[in-house]
Amino acid sequence: MAFVRSVKVAPNSASLEEARSRVFDFFRSACRAIPTIMDMYNLQDVVSPSELRSSIASQIRHNSHITNPKVIDMLLFKGMEELGNIVEHAKQRHHIIGQYVVGRGGLVQDLGTKDQGSSNFLKNFYGGNYF
Amino acid sequence: MASALRAAILGHIRVPVSQTLTLNGSKLSLFGAVRSMSSHGDDHLTKEEVIDRVLDVVKSFPKVDPSKVSPDVHFQKDLGLDSLDNVEIVFALEEEFKLEIPDKEADKIDSCPLAIEYIYKHPMAG
Repeated sequence: MAFVRSVKVAPNSASLEEARSRVFDFFRSACRAIPTIMDMYNLQDVVSPSELRSSIASQIRHNSHITNPKVIDMLLFKGMEELGNIVEHAKQRHHIIGQYVVGRGGLVQDLGTKDQGSSNFLKNFYGGNYF
Repeated sequence: MASALRAAILGHIRVPVSQTLTLNGSKLSLFGAVRSMSSHGDDHLTKEEVIDRVLDVVKSFPKVDPSKVSPDVHFQKDLGLDSLDNVEIVFALEEEFKLEIPDKEADKIDSCPLAIEYIYKHPMAG
């Protein structure tokens, strides 16, 4: 089932404004896909649609400081690809839960007694550079 | 033969349909209230109900401080949200009222009074 998710064609946004409106269009199409996604992956008991919307929004906001329209286009392309993968069920339930429900904070369980002696630099290094 | 005659006669006679619908004891003729049994008309929400539900949706938005929410608050200016939060709130309203708001209209909704206005006027708000 090759489901082409309303691909935004023109790869070059003329200006930051156009890129910005593309971002909102992408966010809207992701939100409209949420009921389907919850149905497909049986997420009704795990998470609510508004939580999914919030997590998608936070991931978009994570890159909101970028001003180069080409970079924004590239990120949008990756986002559309990700959304397409999820909708055509190329992902599985644990992918969705790990990436969008639990998020980054829930994954780091082991920063406890093991790393107490290590320096701040190492802690940040283990934490990753996803900020 | 009598039955055939009867059928032929009935085929040519128009028997007047004099149905009277009794609704709470009052008699309405068929042409007076065509859809008297349907409950379509009472779906329309009252303005207070719309205001209450819109405020509930905005208050339950995680980034919003519930004490600041009032029926004339602007999402970005008064509540300190950004444009992405705006789109999210519009979607939450869509979910609450079971509507589908087209993109052009959704772009214009960026404050509580506009949202209340739009939903109140929408014929399908549920």
